[in-house]
Amino acid sequence: MALEDGGRVDFTRLRAERRQRLADAMASAGLDALVLGRSADVRYAAGARQLWRAGTAPFAPMCVVVAATGRVHLLSVWDEGVPPEITREQLYGLYWDPGNLMQALAAIPGLPEAALVGTDSLTPLFGQLLPAVVPSAEIVDAGPVVAAARSRKTPDEIACLTVAAALAEAGLAALELALAPGVTERQLVGVYHEAMSRLGTPAVPSDSVAFATPRRGPVHFLHLATERPVGIGEMVVLSPGALYAGYEAGLARTRVAGGSAPKGAGALAERAERAIEALVAACRPGSTGANLRRAWEATGEPMPPVPLAHGTGIGPEPPVIGWGRGDQAVLDEGNVLTVQAWVSAEGTGGHFERDLVLVTADGPEVLTRGRRTLR
Amino acid sequence: MTVDDWAAGATVGGRPLPAAPDLARMRVERRRRLQHQLDAQGLDGLVLLGSSGVSYATGATAPGEDSPRAGLFRAVAVVVRGDETPHLFTPFDDGAPPDVPADHLHPPLLPELDDGIEVMATALGELLPPGCRVAVDELTHPMKRALTGYDWCDAASVTGPCKVAKTPDELACLRAAQRINELAMQDAQAALHPGARQSDLSAVYLRRIFELGATTNGIDPIWQVMAPTRDANPWTLHGDLAYPTPTTDRFLREGDVIWVDAGISFHGYASDYGRTWLTANRPVPTARQQAQFTRWRAVVDAALAACRPGATALELCRAAIAANGGDRPWIEHFYLAHGVGTDSAEMPLVGTDLGESFDEALVLAPGMVLVFEPVIWDEGAAGYRSEDIVAVTDDGWVALSGDRYDPFGLAA
Repeated sequence: MALEDGGRVDFTRLRAERRQRLADAMASAGLDALVLGRSADVRYAAGARQLWRAGTAPFAPMCVVVAATGRVHLLSVWDEGVPPEITREQLYGLYWDPGNLMQALAAIPGLPEAALVGTDSLTPLFGQLLPAVVPSAEIVDAGPVVAAARSRKTPDEIACLTVAAALAEAGLAALELALAPGVTERQLVGVYHEAMSRLGTPAVPSDSVAFATPRRGPVHFLHLATERPVGIGEMVVLSPGALYAGYEAGLARTRVAGGSAPKGAGALAERAERAIEALVAACRPGSTGANLRRAWEATGEPMPPVPLAHGTGIGPEPPVIGWGRGDQAVLDEGNVLTVQAWVSAEGTGGHFERDLVLVTADGPEVLTRGRRTLR
Repeated sequence: MTVDDWAAGATVGGRPLPAAPDLARMRVERRRRLQHQLDAQGLDGLVLLGSSGVSYATGATAPGEDSPRAGLFRAVAVVVRGDETPHLFTPFDDGAPPDVPADHLHPPLLPELDDGIEVMATALGELLPPGCRVAVDELTHPMKRALTGYDWCDAASVTGPCKVAKTPDELACLRAAQRINELAMQDAQAALHPGARQSDLSAVYLRRIFELGATTNGIDPIWQVMAPTRDANPWTLHGDLAYPTPTTDRFLREGDVIWVDAGISFHGYASDYGRTWLTANRPVPTARQQAQFTRWRAVVDAALAACRPGATALELCRAAIAANGGDRPWIEHFYLAHGVGTDSAEMPLVGTDLGESFDEALVLAPGMVLVFEPVIWDEGAAGYRSEDIVAVTDDGWVALSGDRYDPFGLAA
């Protein structure tokens, strides 16, 4: 709820600064218009509260930014949830017939005349239909322009990410409270969702938030919760995320589910802590993805099946450092990264740590809080 | 009627509808349909980046994720004509079905990124060399730059015909998804009282769906308060109602009329719950509200009476309009009915801006699924909205959704 003095995040300023960054990036690239379909890009440009859906959506023109007018146009049948600076004239409707949608786009002032138009993706269908709306335009990749705007966070964005971090930590507390031998991974997922909803934020980044690791046999990183009850003394990964105003934060800690910790759990925890701290330490201006990779390799740990790090803002963003990618990425002040370390030992289990890190002029600032302890 | 009897002897293509889906058989039959379409259309292969398409083509499971996360860390399916087993490139190896062998299971491609896109080019080139005719559902800019020499066409031409009519196992899967949704909603409705917040209902509902076996949640549950007059509801471009608007931490108050809408997924299949609830400790519809429900029921029953193989979507629309005294009983930006499958809204679409000639050409066939969601607006007293889901069978239709509309009257 809003505070009567207008305190907490100044969303009007947040949106204005995002629009300015986008405008600056468009101007540098000579783009006359952006036609955006990716929900994160639409959120960044418009700042509207729109329905959360799981999974990907195919590209469709959901938002248009016109350089000449500085206006953001949005696919929204209603103005509820739409910020006041996007007037009703700047809204266009929902159509099932793509031809009708294209007609609506053609009515956007400044769009039909555009000579250089950036999109964040395309489908074969819209690849055919869009040129008719912008007949003299070259259609190019908006990716670099949008990334340039999004990758360094404003203070208001960092405030949103910090709120999301606090929410994720609340999710962690709920998971820890529910964690006990006999509870199933799916029950833990249910508890997490309940907690996030009670906080007023039912939409979550991912339901991949809990998995147990066995004390015997091969240990795998699991993404999907099962009906498997957590065993006594198993090491359990808890990795809740949260969304606030579209901004994502997540953390992961590993706890022992009742009973005594398995032999080697302490050593495994130390390995994970050492590995994540090496990654965090490499998160400074001028550092490259290769630096993070080498920091990991220096620990002697095998490459994990998940990335070492990725950009984070309105959800995950480039760079992805890991899976053989990201060496060329250069970190800058104001970047925010999700950093993570997975280690495992057959006969003990697995240990996963994840944190959200802000790159500042003085080095890394960890935005998420949570003790690295097995209990 | 027990859960097992849900199909009550109905058949689709002469085949009975099972009590529960046989997941392995379901995957095999979907893959065969995709192969048939590739053959029929002279295509060499299919590349799918979208989460519902990958689920359809492979049967792989992925966590339920926010779109930005789902988009960056995608699973990708590649289907090669002549090979019934799809290739799956995924970050979630524990979601791969058992019938995708190791040589068809690969590390993730990241089609959103330039960095590493050559891996995708190489991987695709090994399965479908440049020069091939390939249907694809999305072409990111990195893909366009790196995957050169292909004759691309839109994947909808392949997946559309496959998905529009469901196999018996798919229908059983939809029924199971819907049942989980409805059971969780019973608990959510029990939590509705004056002073509850929309997000409190989400808390009960979302915990319960996972306890009941949902694979993922599909949409942020909607508990929209409908003000009594059109003017008091949000402004819209077309002047018709705004629906659905996102959930907040808003308090629900005595007498609030709530139009509920939520969808969970079960083994890749969506569900769609729609009901009208009243906020009170012991809600009792007024006579006027009960009349709204009665009208809604009459509209749906009229559409269902016309619903059988060979009927057109236009006939359903006309029946619904006639039952509503000549006024269109659905919201302008929506439809009288939509399909549901691995997508929460898919073909067939009935009564949209695609127009009457589209509806006239849309002929119902066994296996099609229709979510009827007419809206009865009663200016001055809000209105009634619910959803009935049916599958078209060989002889008519069978219900996939339940028959309780509490606190309103029983189903016909």
